[in-house]
Amino acid sequence: MDKKTGVYICHCGLGGSTETEEILKKLPKGSIVKDSQYLCDITEQELLIKDINEKDLEQVVVACFASDVHRSIFKKVGDEVGFLPNLIKIEESDDVVEKIIAALDDLKPIKPEETEVDVNPSVLVIGAGIVGEQASLDIGDAGYKVYLVERRPNIGGHMAQLDKTFPTLDCASCIGTPKMVATGQHPNIELLTCSEVIEVSGHAGEFKVKVLRHPRYVDENECTGCGICVDNCPAVVASEFNLGVGPRKAIYIPFAQAIPLAAIRDPEHCLSCRMCEYVCDKKAIRFDQEEEIIEFEVGSILVTTGFELFNCDLRPELGYDKYDRVINALELERLCAPTGPTAGEILIHGKPPKNIVFVQCVGSRDKNVGNEYCSRVCCMYATKQCNLVREKVPDAKFTICYTDIRAFGKGHEEFYNRMQDEGVIYLRGIVSEVYRGENGMMKVRVENTLMVEPVELEADLVVLSAGLVAPADTPQLANMLNLDVGDDKFLAEAHVNIRPMETRVKGIYMAGCAQGPKDISDSVAQTSGAAAKATIPISFGKVKIGPEDEVKVVKETTATAAPIEKEVTG
Amino acid sequence: MKIGVYVCHCGINIAANVDVKAVAEYAKTLPNVVVAKDYVFMCSDPGQDLIKEDVEELGLDRVVVASCSPRMHEPTFRKAVQTKGMNAFLFEQANIREHCSWVHEDRESGTEKAKALVSAAVAKAALLKPLEVMEADVEPSALVVGGGIAGIHAAIDSANAGYKTYLLERDPSLGGHVAEMCKIFPNMDRAACLLIPKMTEVATHPNISVLTYSELIDVGGFIGNFDLKIKKKPRYVDPEKCTACGECAKVCPVKTDDGKAAIDMPYPFAVPRTYTINPELCLRFQEGEGDCSKCKDACPEGAVDFEQTEEEQELKIGAIVVATGYDEFDASLKPELRYDLYDNVITGVEFEKKLLEAEKTGKIEINGKEPKDVIFVQCVGSRDKNVGNEYCSRVCCMYTAKQATMVKDLIPDSNVTVCYIDVRAYGRGYEQFYENAQKKGVRYWRGNPAEVYKDDGKLVVRAENTLLGDPKEISADLVVLATGMTSKSDARELGNLLKVPQSGDRFFLEAHPKLGPVNTASDGVYIAGTCQGPKDIADTLAQASGAVMKALIPLCQGKVFIEPITSVVDEEICSGCHMCEKICVYDAPTFDEEKGVMTINSIVCKGCGSCGATCPSGAISMNHFRDQQLFAQINMLSS
Repeated sequence: MDKKTGVYICHCGLGGSTETEEILKKLPKGSIVKDSQYLCDITEQELLIKDINEKDLEQVVVACFASDVHRSIFKKVGDEVGFLPNLIKIEESDDVVEKIIAALDDLKPIKPEETEVDVNPSVLVIGAGIVGEQASLDIGDAGYKVYLVERRPNIGGHMAQLDKTFPTLDCASCIGTPKMVATGQHPNIELLTCSEVIEVSGHAGEFKVKVLRHPRYVDENECTGCGICVDNCPAVVASEFNLGVGPRKAIYIPFAQAIPLAAIRDPEHCLSCRMCEYVCDKKAIRFDQEEEIIEFEVGSILVTTGFELFNCDLRPELGYDKYDRVINALELERLCAPTGPTAGEILIHGKPPKNIVFVQCVGSRDKNVGNEYCSRVCCMYATKQCNLVREKVPDAKFTICYTDIRAFGKGHEEFYNRMQDEGVIYLRGIVSEVYRGENGMMKVRVENTLMVEPVELEADLVVLSAGLVAPADTPQLANMLNLDVGDDKFLAEAHVNIRPMETRVKGIYMAGCAQGPKDISDSVAQTSGAAAKATIPISFGKVKIGPEDEVKVVKETTATAAPIEKEVTG
Repeated sequence: MKIGVYVCHCGINIAANVDVKAVAEYAKTLPNVVVAKDYVFMCSDPGQDLIKEDVEELGLDRVVVASCSPRMHEPTFRKAVQTKGMNAFLFEQANIREHCSWVHEDRESGTEKAKALVSAAVAKAALLKPLEVMEADVEPSALVVGGGIAGIHAAIDSANAGYKTYLLERDPSLGGHVAEMCKIFPNMDRAACLLIPKMTEVATHPNISVLTYSELIDVGGFIGNFDLKIKKKPRYVDPEKCTACGECAKVCPVKTDDGKAAIDMPYPFAVPRTYTINPELCLRFQEGEGDCSKCKDACPEGAVDFEQTEEEQELKIGAIVVATGYDEFDASLKPELRYDLYDNVITGVEFEKKLLEAEKTGKIEINGKEPKDVIFVQCVGSRDKNVGNEYCSRVCCMYTAKQATMVKDLIPDSNVTVCYIDVRAYGRGYEQFYENAQKKGVRYWRGNPAEVYKDDGKLVVRAENTLLGDPKEISADLVVLATGMTSKSDARELGNLLKVPQSGDRFFLEAHPKLGPVNTASDGVYIAGTCQGPKDIADTLAQASGAVMKALIPLCQGKVFIEPITSVVDEEICSGCHMCEKICVYDAPTFDEEKGVMTINSIVCKGCGSCGATCPSGAISMNHFRDQQLFAQINMLSS
């Protein structure tokens, strides 16, 4: 230790002074140790720079709270003096002197190695649900090129599967379809469906991207979506879009408003009769289509990969896999939707259900299944579904078994109150078991915690309010992009409060449920925020990057799913 | 003339109560109609393709779509006809969903009404005239209103994108509510650590101008070209000279209860770093109090200037982000909780300051004593129709969990109880935080207090434990009221200036909860953070950046497009009476001295039609809604 050192201890306005002598003893002559109240503050930053220059300090140690959020501010000091301070994170309970002395031994002056690079004026958006669409539209509207990569044959994500949305009861198709159409038609958005990002390298401003495009076996540009191939296909399988509630063919269009509107052939179930090829007027069927690799460069990356529905089989006591009177909420959504397999008619065993029990927090707030978190949407979607079913079955009775009602969004409490006024019963208690009674109806066993009594409810339909979980291949995606994953298995943000759309990698941002469960309104607001973060360097034209900003290529392939949905729970 | 008519099923939204095929057949019989079709979703790609193909192949020159409200899909269909070279304003939409299928239960009358609406739309379409969209350049600058954490982040984002950004704040310093907080859930970061670096960034950013102690007083112009007037209040201190040495405050004879002088700086990290005289406190500004000038005499820099006056500044701005935040609910509106009466009944915000103090001293003191029994009361002013706030404030459950945890940490043998209705721990890491509070010994008691009173010098909280069905009285040394958020008391005035309406909860109303959560009814004005509704910091900052994105769209494009649906003056008829000028809220009509008639600035005109209705001589009509077009529509409906 022979370098003239400056040691600064930030007390964050709490006052107090440090035994500076103890530290000074360990330092060469000319070194200084100072207490500071707010070292991130403008005047103290100026003083710090002045000290370094006037006293010819060769290295600097800063001990402060929340050192992780202070890096950027000290980078500016680095720009002025030619080296970066060593940041030591302290906590209120720490012996600061001891901590600093321990750190002095392996102190190295850190050279700022940032260089300024040009920014490629385009963005990669991974995942084309409502969140990916909105981000792409924002960036496209600002005049920049967007590559929107979607694994499924069509865009629209989960929202396309919904009937209506809470709390305004807007029809999901009415507000979702225009976004899909606008995305599909936008001159600045290049849509890559049936595609997966398989490799990313480079850094903010210039990422090199490799996309694997799976064969659709149909020429997207030629196909008009007339559906004649579908009509003539003899192979029938369960429809993923309708969660298995209805059928589809081996060559199919996932739903009537799909974008891009083109058929896709599912080779797994295709009988290879080539009937489709024979009937297609436009000669759009391509049995010989193969996988292709598409490569391009972008300035920023936005991850909007959404969520999967919790697999209700993991709560066997609720009988989801045993009884067909027990369904999950998304299945009910498809039953209610006019575009669904039953054209909106809700029939359970051929009859409209009259006694419906909703089970809340299935796969949420439940450490037994590994999900301690709240899924943020289930209280409100169950409340909404009571309204949807009542439209079709006016005399149906509804009971929602809940732990806490979390109606926290704009207009949510009002909607919850309205549904209570309209007779929906909210029963506070966690359902312990669902089984079949002698009359064939379901029995729901639950403790009414407000009356302190166990009750058994009879139901002809039990709806499990399944929570949202991170897509199964999030770890692989995170690995490819060098991102972190939280304890809840969703992608981790750079800082939960002040950098909610940023990741640990500069230039890679995220929004929507990829970062954790949230409703459509919150997701859409956040995705515009993430789009802003991705657009800022492009608009500015330059970005500063250091060696730590380089994305390391992970060799193993991340192609985990075929273009046809596999995560279907029904 | 060749008109094409397209009838939408909207899934079953329309088809259930309207015989769409019959409507299409009927349309074929109307004058000028050469083709009429029906389709399940006209807004979908294949639906639009139907129109496009017919425009091309049949040479249509007018298109009518009978579907939903034009609010959503008029732009969709206009764009569709435009791709085939047709003028977008030769498209007309008949609303047979909201105006028909959704309000008729009987299919027969629904179908009849749909036919009538279609015939009226066809009649209007025949008289439509082509119009051209106007284009204007965009001023490459942004204004952010409100210098709290949302405004600070929005300003940094906008400035980082390369645009000149003005950050406007009414108070003497940036910082907002977060500046007075202690720690932030769920990470327990120090509020100062999250806020001050960003304030420093704002203060040193080459693209940001900070306008503190200033207010917006006038807004003119339109998206891309707003003309703003800003009022700067006198600080009575020259910020250029003030070094924030604090000598002035030391000699000031005025001291408030919380230790503030009449000349003071709100926080040591204030931006700008300058003292400000509060004329409401300063003796010099009180009648009959003489002319104290102690601060002026003490100031080594000669920065105090009693002669300063209000200044006005004009700005030209391309886009505006509103981030004006919230007011804390006034706890005295819940008299049964005795906030006004007892000084050991305090609000969450007041307790936050106590905790900040306790971090310095190591102990919490209430009336000089360490409280042992602490009760937190949730939902004070939230979820409460009696006080007019039906909504949930979104943060109180968590800030209470944080404060309760801190009490347990500082006073391990204390009894801490949280009285709640539902615990809303919905954000990332919140549920774990809530559980951790319980593990530390915080007791959660389901049931909200009916009353707080004093018995034998000690507070008593009367609350039913709804889980045990058991009314109880619990005694306490300290009751903390988790007050919720309300909209700013002057939200209406700012809303009027910016033409941003409020929703039922009095927060600013977004354009659409899902399609435009940060957009407003006013183009070029975007909202972020708690001025739109209560939310925590993470959600606020997501929205702040989201609002900036919307502002970046016109800024990056450099151009905006303006609808030509504006009013027009028939100079032959106009008598120049100025009636239109008086009624217009957008200042669009002006008097042409030379011709002696009124003219309309069509870039500013929003096409609201007020002037047309007011004009006594019938000289003003609206493009796209001309009298003869509307009369044709009415004639068809009444025939």
